[in-house]
Amino acid sequence: MGKLLKLRIDGQDVQAPAGTNLIDAAEMAGVHIPNLCYLKGMKGIGACRMCLVEVEGLKAPVIACNTRVKQDMVVHTRTERVQEIRRFVIDLILSMHPLDCVTCTKSGVCNLQEYAYEFGLRESSFSRKKFTYPVDDGNPFVKRDPAYCILCGRCVRVCKEQGTNVLDFMGRGIESKVITANDMPLHESGCTFCGSCVDVCPVSALREADREQKGREWEFSRYESVCMLCGCGCDITVSIKGDMIQKINAGNRAPSTEQKFICAYGRFGYEHVDGGKRILAPMVRKGGRLQEVSMKDALEDLAGRLKKAGKNAGFISTASILNEDALSLQRFAEEVVKTPNIDSTASLYARPEEFQKSQKAKMDKADLIVLVGINPSQWTRVLPALDVAVRRRLSRKGRLITINSQETGLADLAELNLSGDEIQAIQGIIKSVPDHGIKVDQSLMKHVQEASTDKNMQQAAEIFAGSSSPLIISDPAFFDAASSLAGIKGHAIAMPLESNAHGVVRMGLKTRGASIQDMAAIEHGLVQRGKSTVKLLYAVGDVPLSKKPDGVDFLVVQSSSLTGLAGEADMVLPAATYLESSGSMVDYLGELKTMEQTIEPRGASKTHRDIFIQLAKNMGVTLKKPPFSEIKKAAGSQAGPSMADMSRKEGFQETPESYLQALNAPVLETSRLLWLKESGLV
Amino acid sequence: MDQVLEKILDNYHEHEGNALTILQDLEENFGYVPEETVYELSDRLNIPPSRFFGIATFFSQLHLKPRGKNIITVCRGTPCHVKGSEKILSRMRMELDIPSGEETSEDRMFTVEEVNCVGACGMAPVVVINQQVQGEVNIKKMIKEVNEIRSEE
Repeated sequence: MGKLLKLRIDGQDVQAPAGTNLIDAAEMAGVHIPNLCYLKGMKGIGACRMCLVEVEGLKAPVIACNTRVKQDMVVHTRTERVQEIRRFVIDLILSMHPLDCVTCTKSGVCNLQEYAYEFGLRESSFSRKKFTYPVDDGNPFVKRDPAYCILCGRCVRVCKEQGTNVLDFMGRGIESKVITANDMPLHESGCTFCGSCVDVCPVSALREADREQKGREWEFSRYESVCMLCGCGCDITVSIKGDMIQKINAGNRAPSTEQKFICAYGRFGYEHVDGGKRILAPMVRKGGRLQEVSMKDALEDLAGRLKKAGKNAGFISTASILNEDALSLQRFAEEVVKTPNIDSTASLYARPEEFQKSQKAKMDKADLIVLVGINPSQWTRVLPALDVAVRRRLSRKGRLITINSQETGLADLAELNLSGDEIQAIQGIIKSVPDHGIKVDQSLMKHVQEASTDKNMQQAAEIFAGSSSPLIISDPAFFDAASSLAGIKGHAIAMPLESNAHGVVRMGLKTRGASIQDMAAIEHGLVQRGKSTVKLLYAVGDVPLSKKPDGVDFLVVQSSSLTGLAGEADMVLPAATYLESSGSMVDYLGELKTMEQTIEPRGASKTHRDIFIQLAKNMGVTLKKPPFSEIKKAAGSQAGPSMADMSRKEGFQETPESYLQALNAPVLETSRLLWLKESGLV
Repeated sequence: MDQVLEKILDNYHEHEGNALTILQDLEENFGYVPEETVYELSDRLNIPPSRFFGIATFFSQLHLKPRGKNIITVCRGTPCHVKGSEKILSRMRMELDIPSGEETSEDRMFTVEEVNCVGACGMAPVVVINQQVQGEVNIKKMIKEVNEIRSEE
């Protein structure tokens, strides 16, 4: 951030950091400068001419979006002259925009409507122009209706900046149009249906395909939550009407567009809460079939069984449950059931300690990103938001080095791609860093003495040495090596596949007694073979396994969807989804994020923590809902990075793609996302 | 086609700034910008296809459809309009069997296109036939010209 400059906007004194544009500076003073094409965080392009302002000493009005603050600048945003220009712009746009605000879904939040209202324009003074462009509604996600388009270019810019590159302008002048390559429908153009364009469209040209008649913006209650469907843990804003989710947008918490992104899963997967696989009531296996019972009966029966099982009971959970649920589960298992056998699915693809050592960092502060052993991609739908975050960082200031023994999508954009063995590459870099004037601790140098370096590693070391705040994001398997590098400078992140892996581990869900592999009899990946070490297995969340392990006498599955494992259970308890729970989670960058409950839990379902509390009560023990202060304390706990062991951690043989598909199977199968599968797009 | 593409590609590296010159090369080699070449080049150069199509539709010198052997450009500037260029245009389209909404006849012998002004307003109405500017044209004269081209084929 540059130094603070003083200026005056509409008579108000403002202090803004050097480099700030006038729209942002005015906002600090509470002055809104009208605009149709500006996107906070992105470079202004001055396409709409609405943000013209007058600056004292300059003859002609200037565009505020692309004018930077200067010391002692005096700006007038509402002079007669600029208001006249704005009025003219709106007048022109209205001449080719349908005036059907009475039925338009965007009514109330439409920027064009807002400004037309401000200028009292009922109808354009120009003759009406109409183009008969076809509506692109060949997919169930995004509807593209060029008749409404005002050619502001917001969608083109977000699509481009995040690297999806589907939209662009065609033609020129009044005949311009936003198109995909060769004007094909979205589903034939490589679109991933993330809906970023929908979020930025100021009018109704790009909207959710099913928005019509589902409610206007002012009818919605809005809640801030977090998408729990993959390791990205993106902020979401959920719009509710009549206890039904009407739509989900990228979260509002991030101030600029740089951090705002959600993928098609996060935006359109919510229908699973009322989907065909939803578990609405407790069920118990009777005569070989699962039959509904009351919650009271189920929990009483289960309490008795847990009491009897004691150390023979084991708990496995997904790493997608909320902190509150995880901490309650850990306490319930340890203090009430008194069994050391607790573990989470995070242990399937990492050693939980890695997540606890992972540091706290900010993406927008990084000037160098180093990706180690991971291949985030919007197209394979593996950690898509990370892919976007990296691409956006690169389009601003960041540089990128990829270290991966396999091909990655982001390698093309990297300044340097080290394609050999990851551990050797990192060791080589560490060994070369002192050549570029950076001191490295002797204890660390000891571990890389044997390492060999090549030209690429030396170049990477040079880039690393020259950066001021590198961010190293690593597959957990290489985390120790990655964090050694961060020990020199910057931050190291262990990238999880599941949203709250960092949280559940910090809440204590990590291998203590029997591991998840022991309890669920997992041979490798998600393949189950052999015998479980526990008699009573209690699975929490939509655990992506499909077989009741041999040796388990009684299997309890507490999930929201009838997963493969739930289908084999002896007892099924209905759990609330993340959209029906309030609480918190820790994202991959180590930030503790709070989540609001957006809808009521469906049927008899309850949050995991409420079920544990009731079970404990039935077992004669009082278990309290963990207060937020405790969650905060646990979430903040961080083990320091280790610099010793730099070996690769082996074990997980599932690809991220297949693991995430298994994990999200209920969401993919019982929402409109199924269309992606049926159309061969996932 | 592949050989031509290779030759064009040799001259460029991955950079979006090169997209226009690449398209010009395509136009020069093929007479238009064939759709499949765009996807091929986009793949090879890491420039999104939407960018290529955006540029190709922006510049009137670039065409996405094959063009005729003979190009007739009718000026539609104001003086030419006053002098009846619209009638000339519609008659030429009829005479050369150009389907409505298209610019090129099915046998690809002729392309009839409009241009905003050729800068020869003094001799309006102006038509450019195969890069030869003809002033003060009328329908009779045009039909004669077209017939001459036809007989030469």
